Amino acid sequence: MKQYQLSTGEKKFIGSHLLVAILALAVGSLFGPLQAFEHAGWDFYPYLKPFIKSYYQGLTVHGVLNALVWTTFFIMGFLTFNVTFALKRPLKNPTLNKVGFWLMVVGVVAAAIPILANEATVLFTFYPPLKANWAFYVGLTLVVVGSWVEGWGLFMTFAAWRKENPNVRSPFVAFASVLTALLWQICTLGVAVEILTMLLPWSLGLIEGVDPQLARTYFWFTGHPLVYFWLLPAYISWYAMLPKQAGNGKMFSDSLARLSFWIFLVLSTPLGFHHQYVDPGVPPVWKFIHSMLTFGVFFPSMMTAFTVVASLEHAGRKQGGKGALAWIGKLNWSDPSVAAQLLAGILFFFGGIGGLTNASYNVNLVLHNTAFIPGHFHLTVATAVTLSFMGISYWLLPYLTGRKLWNPKWAVAQAWTWFIGMIIFSNAMHIVGLQGAPRRVPLGLAPYVPAEWNSRLFQVGVGGAILFISGALYLTVMLKTALNKEKVTEEVEVPMAEAMQDPALTPDWLDRWAPWIYGSLALIVLVYGPVLFDMIKNIALTSPGFRVW
Amino acid sequence: MAKKDKDDDDEFRPTGTIAVLTIFVITLIAIWATIYWILVGRGGTL
Amino acid sequence: MSAKNMHIDRYERNWMIFSAIMLVLFATAVSVAAFGMGIQVPAPEQRVDPNTVATDPNSPWSNPGLREVSPGVYDAYILAHAIPNWEFLPKEITVPVGSRVSFYVTSSDVQHGFNIQNTNANFMVLPGQVSKLTITFKNPGTYNYICTEYCGVGHGVMYGAVVVTP
Repeated sequence: MKQYQLSTGEKKFIGSHLLVAILALAVGSLFGPLQAFEHAGWDFYPYLKPFIKSYYQGLTVHGVLNALVWTTFFIMGFLTFNVTFALKRPLKNPTLNKVGFWLMVVGVVAAAIPILANEATVLFTFYPPLKANWAFYVGLTLVVVGSWVEGWGLFMTFAAWRKENPNVRSPFVAFASVLTALLWQICTLGVAVEILTMLLPWSLGLIEGVDPQLARTYFWFTGHPLVYFWLLPAYISWYAMLPKQAGNGKMFSDSLARLSFWIFLVLSTPLGFHHQYVDPGVPPVWKFIHSMLTFGVFFPSMMTAFTVVASLEHAGRKQGGKGALAWIGKLNWSDPSVAAQLLAGILFFFGGIGGLTNASYNVNLVLHNTAFIPGHFHLTVATAVTLSFMGISYWLLPYLTGRKLWNPKWAVAQAWTWFIGMIIFSNAMHIVGLQGAPRRVPLGLAPYVPAEWNSRLFQVGVGGAILFISGALYLTVMLKTALNKEKVTEEVEVPMAEAMQDPALTPDWLDRWAPWIYGSLALIVLVYGPVLFDMIKNIALTSPGFRVW
Repeated sequence: MAKKDKDDDDEFRPTGTIAVLTIFVITLIAIWATIYWILVGRGGTL
Repeated sequence: MSAKNMHIDRYERNWMIFSAIMLVLFATAVSVAAFGMGIQVPAPEQRVDPNTVATDPNSPWSNPGLREVSPGVYDAYILAHAIPNWEFLPKEITVPVGSRVSFYVTSSDVQHGFNIQNTNANFMVLPGQVSKLTITFKNPGTYNYICTEYCGVGHGVMYGAVVVTP
């Protein structure tokens, strides 16, 4: 059976997302190792002075390009592919999606100019009253609005498909992709309100001051579900594509996969206070309620762990795998896409452990803003997500361009070097954080660093060096593939795992949108409403802006 | 649909998954508890 | 089987039950620490005007430092500022071992963080807000307090110390 064909124009459109994403990763990832080297005492920043004024300008470039631009562009491209391919229909209104994409591109350029000019050295959290040039906030707004517009294009496409196919179970990949885009629309309301009602008018001189506590609250309304916006596309691949690639396995449970996605939609926003446990202006009772909901959102990740591992085990057994663990060796490790995603998944176990610990209410007192935190999110967004996206690109780029993946062995080596480099880097960051080292500090220069941190800071540098090599390998493979003269003979097969149980048997309530959407909005109003009402009622726009870099 | 497949899959018991997840859970509890004890050892904040 | 039933594998069902129990146990442990042992996160303490908090003579942060409330019990008013030179005021406080110290920290400019090394005193410092936690110093030694939130290029040199004398 021939697979559904995307038009050349659609492939180009999805490919443009990949292009921007990878360019952002290329520039952003240059600065990651520089930070790590600085920690080990090898400070290259003085040599960069003509272009990059400080460690913090580099850190801003790294955070904005890697955590915001690389992820958002890759995700919007991947979701667009998933929706059209799985629904076997073109976008309902391709012009709308194109408008969204170009808004995002203009936004990135608008934000990049002040960042590169050292006029927006505010890191990717841009906490006021650090005050960036207005173009930075305009750029961020355009990126968010552009991603909304692209999301609307996906919703319209899904609705059109539903109209054409009433009473049919939606394909999991399309369902989950639309849900991810929907989650993003709901949660970005926080940062949209933050920028439009405070930061932008303030940076334009229309208002004198801002309320930093309220700004943080808006920010983290978006900030935690942002994590799920990053993760869910990787989950889609792990659930529904990776088992097929790893050894022709099937998805262990279609209904539980859908159920876990619904729980993510409902629970990922109303728990933002777990990033604000030690903020002075949020009442502890609400922090506690959010912490309990955080324990709740860990549950669908536990379900995901089971379903994904079981689907992979199914693949491993099919390939003749035996024993309690030996089947893992039978998975298709020689395929770089598989190797990258399996290694990403392994480190995500540890990312999950660190995340649960951070989010455990008062346990956060031990960890808040220590190096443990970047140690943690380099396992999640920088490995579970990023290494999975790299793995996806190892089949997606050949699929889109019709060019053969250049040197798959190098690509396998890329996955392993990322894995090893990240273990060394992240382990050291977690431990030095537990010893008290703060995050966001050039620790190579800080006056208070005790001798006991030094061996760990050295390991941070070593990990960074290995990651630098891995990043260079990835970019080489991507570039060489994009320019590869060797074409694929047939269109690359898109890996789609069937479900073990016919999805038609999945209960209807797992394929109905309205109750879940109303439920998630109601929960947000319930656990954010009273605090936000109080904060807005007592708003104090007393903080003028500062440019302290 | 695919009756034959279903029979094969019905016999699939994810024992290896239980093995993997057991290792995961032991690690999770160990790390979480270690940090929790650090917190408790440092004492109250009120 | 043609009915649309939620089919859940027996192993997976057990895994879900186990996960739920484990999360409930974690939540219980956290609650015991919070409500039984008094290991709590900061609560809203006071709002201030960041523009005058360091200069208004009625503001305790115009004269930051240690105040003895009763024998062995202290209030420490600490001001964090990036301007002009990224520091906490006072830079150092000295208390005898066994002292119970309440830290009241605020900022006169940007956001900062306050982490007394190897203690549970770790919180954000925001302009316009006062952050408060109380801890007891059980062992003598020097405990650095380090700024833990990016506050400009001098962030990495911003710290002070509690000296706990025997």
